[in-house]
Amino acid sequence: MENPNNPCRILMVVTGVLTAIGLLLLFSASKSIASVSGSLPVYVKQLIWIIIGILMFLWLKDFDYRHWNKLAHLLYFVILIFLLIVLAIGTGRAGRWIKIGWFNFQPSEFAKFILVIVLARYFSIRDIERFSTILGGVIITGIPFLLILLQPNLGTALLFIIIFFSMAYLAGAKKKHLLILIIIGVLMSPLLWMGLKDYQKQRLIIFLNPWKDPLGKGYNILQSKITIGSGGIIGKGFLKGTQTKLAFLPEFHTDFIFCLLAEEFGLVGVFVLLFLYYVFLSQIHRITLTTQDPFGRLAGTGIMVMFLTQIFVNIGMACGILPVAGIPLPFLSYGGSALIVCFICLATVYNLGKNTALF
Amino acid sequence: MEQRLKIFVQVVKILLGILVIQCINLQVFHFSYYRRLSEQNCIRTIDLGIPRGKIFDRNGRILAEDKTCFHLVYVPYDLKEPETVASVLSSILGLDRRELLKELEKKSTNPFERRILKRDLTQSEIAAISEYAFKLPGVFVQAGLDRQYTLGTGACHLLGYTGEVSQEELDLLKDEGIKPGHYIGKYGIEKQYDQLLRGKSGGYQIEVDARGHQRRILKEISMVPGNNIILTIDQTIQEACINALGNREGAIIAMDPRNGEVLALVSNPSFEPLNVAKYLMSPYNRNNPFLNRAIAGQYAPGSIFKIITEIAALETGEIGEHDRIECTGSMEVGDRIFHCWKEEGHGWIDINQALPFSCNIFFGTVGMKLGVDKILEYAKLFDLGKPTGIDLPGERSGNLPSSEEAGGAINIAIGQGAISVTPVQLCTMISAVANGGNLWKPFVVKKIVAPDGKIIKEFQPSLKKTIFISDETLTILKRGLRNVVKFGTGAGANVPGIEIAGKTGTAQIAQKELGLPTRGAFACYAPADSPSIAMVVVLDEASSGQAARIAGSIIKRVFTSEETVSETTISETEQTQTLPSGSQGFE
Repeated sequence: MENPNNPCRILMVVTGVLTAIGLLLLFSASKSIASVSGSLPVYVKQLIWIIIGILMFLWLKDFDYRHWNKLAHLLYFVILIFLLIVLAIGTGRAGRWIKIGWFNFQPSEFAKFILVIVLARYFSIRDIERFSTILGGVIITGIPFLLILLQPNLGTALLFIIIFFSMAYLAGAKKKHLLILIIIGVLMSPLLWMGLKDYQKQRLIIFLNPWKDPLGKGYNILQSKITIGSGGIIGKGFLKGTQTKLAFLPEFHTDFIFCLLAEEFGLVGVFVLLFLYYVFLSQIHRITLTTQDPFGRLAGTGIMVMFLTQIFVNIGMACGILPVAGIPLPFLSYGGSALIVCFICLATVYNLGKNTALF
Repeated sequence: MEQRLKIFVQVVKILLGILVIQCINLQVFHFSYYRRLSEQNCIRTIDLGIPRGKIFDRNGRILAEDKTCFHLVYVPYDLKEPETVASVLSSILGLDRRELLKELEKKSTNPFERRILKRDLTQSEIAAISEYAFKLPGVFVQAGLDRQYTLGTGACHLLGYTGEVSQEELDLLKDEGIKPGHYIGKYGIEKQYDQLLRGKSGGYQIEVDARGHQRRILKEISMVPGNNIILTIDQTIQEACINALGNREGAIIAMDPRNGEVLALVSNPSFEPLNVAKYLMSPYNRNNPFLNRAIAGQYAPGSIFKIITEIAALETGEIGEHDRIECTGSMEVGDRIFHCWKEEGHGWIDINQALPFSCNIFFGTVGMKLGVDKILEYAKLFDLGKPTGIDLPGERSGNLPSSEEAGGAINIAIGQGAISVTPVQLCTMISAVANGGNLWKPFVVKKIVAPDGKIIKEFQPSLKKTIFISDETLTILKRGLRNVVKFGTGAGANVPGIEIAGKTGTAQIAQKELGLPTRGAFACYAPADSPSIAMVVVLDEASSGQAARIAGSIIKRVFTSEETVSETTISETEQTQTLPSGSQGFE
């Protein structure tokens, strides 16, 4: 089994490079004038999270992925409780976190992975060609979706919809059924719109059209584009980024970390990063395709969709072609919850690959 | 499914391809444009702040409004020599140089954001700053808004004040478009109706030159005005209260007993709503200027409570109109001796004399007959011990003790001991007497009106309950209250031509063991036969007679014309103030 083309090995190497790039960027970000003095620099904190993530991976990589199938109900129930707690006592940016000691636990990150597992189980044991199965999936997705929407975390909530549709489609749902769902959704949206409060409407408008808020989000997007554009082909050089150092954007180490890369390493850096992500996703794809077990296959599919959507939405937002959504870039953005979930996903795919190889 | 999964890799390629194309677009085709913007760091945002609606009195007179003014602002990034700037500004503004420097060098999360250094510059300051502009790179004069309060300190507890949003408030209000540096309502009506008063902030996104001066406007966002609020307050009465109270410590609240509309609300000591910081420091913070005594000051009601005792006694039939009790000046209960305020005693009196002369022995004896529980039951009917629900933040509930804590029937019957009430509670109580038993919820906001004149909210009077008081009881009680002013303890409130009825109370404050001074209070309504105003005056360090005189002078002002009023003011001035006459007159 030890062949150099083993997708699991490639996956691990790529992940290693991605986390290393992330650390390098966070080191650069810590030189920013806006970085908070006193506490540990972000790259040190991120290093701690990476170590925890790797330990998590080592522990879970031999954890038979089929166990997730059995745990699905329990995990779903637990995460709903956490999402309710976060609504009640959430702190931090837009109230998404639960503070546990020094750890800002962010249930919505874990909810992504759990949704994938639960949908994989559900679609693998029901007849996907029946409309009732699709409706059941809507309810499974709908509950955590609403809880996250209320936080309010529009970006992550929309990610849930994308995961649902992609998984249903890739599981073999009838196109007609999905189309009906979309039509119902579109028809219902005016009702939803009328139910919103004024400031919620305002938020949504700005989300879809940030130029309506030129002093806030619109300013952020302009600065984000200036940062990327000014990097040019070869970039300004490591630690030489001026935009990011001057803290034009409030969240350079989290949602806008791509700007850091684009500014200091230019188009070359962008190519390298996107190539790494391409390899990463295609290896997951390879593993998924060779899996025969329906649950495993759907789980792999869901994880793949989740990663792809996050990468596309995060970078698309930084480049100014998508709304500012507050979705982290896998393995790069600073943040414990997101990073740990990435490593759990990686371990699941690794285990999938290992089991498949044994068949 | 196999087929669908296989094409997924194409989706990955397409999406990543889109990202590559956009990055090439930004980093290759628009490289020089973005590089220039980045090198010059020349995009700034100017936030002009949030406009707020006006606050009017019931007759449409402005009590609070925004005025356009000029703020001194600076952009930390453009501030090349903070040392020089600090010394130049300190000589222009007369502020401490080191303090200024500390402010200018404060670390910021966004060094390109304009920050306000001093609000509301004077004309000469503006002139001086533009004269020295060449020495002040990164410092600008920017048009902005500041609040203006017509009555100054006189309505500070009612209207409140605005201030810069704090970090905690920011976390809560982020969704409503509030950003650091914005002003929000912090107290009084400004706080209670903050969300409705607030408009939407406006500003510019501009491109600047190397010195930070505006080159062109890239984006503009216009301000949206906030809603206006119309109060139930009558500015004339409010002013009369302010002037009558002078600088004594205490509170006055006046209300329409027919519907609960609050006509005036004053509390002393006060603070300057535009200079709040000053009142957080000694000596200005003495005696808690931020306490709205009218709704949060908790006082023993003293003899005013005898109204409740009288209602309870007559309604339960414990005592008849002509039943007499002898007051010898003191009485013995167990091993304790109670004194009447009149040492030699009132002699044999019935309830018709007991109330005007506020006889403690009479009401103490009646209280013993009734028992603690019966008295408390009637106090509860008037919702004492419960917040009235007035639409102002920070109302306290006072304290209605349990029968064990009450300290005996005699104490409670004359309003002493563990019982405490707020002036607004007393005001709703005396109103209920005035109108025959209707307990109205007091309120200060009548209407909220959008800038285009559309009514957003109109507040209707809200009747909390109707307390049953028989006509016989009411007749006796009201006659007694009228006699208080005619020839009794409240004679100071007697105004020729206006029938005022009321009750005095020497309210020993709840912690009299602490050796704190007694407080004089007066609750009244007028005209006695068809009341249109109810008022409570509480003074922290004065007699109830003084409170009665103040109430009388205000009511005279309300019911008579302008000329007679200035007379009252002068006589009031002679009585209590050493100021030369006229300096305190109404304008």
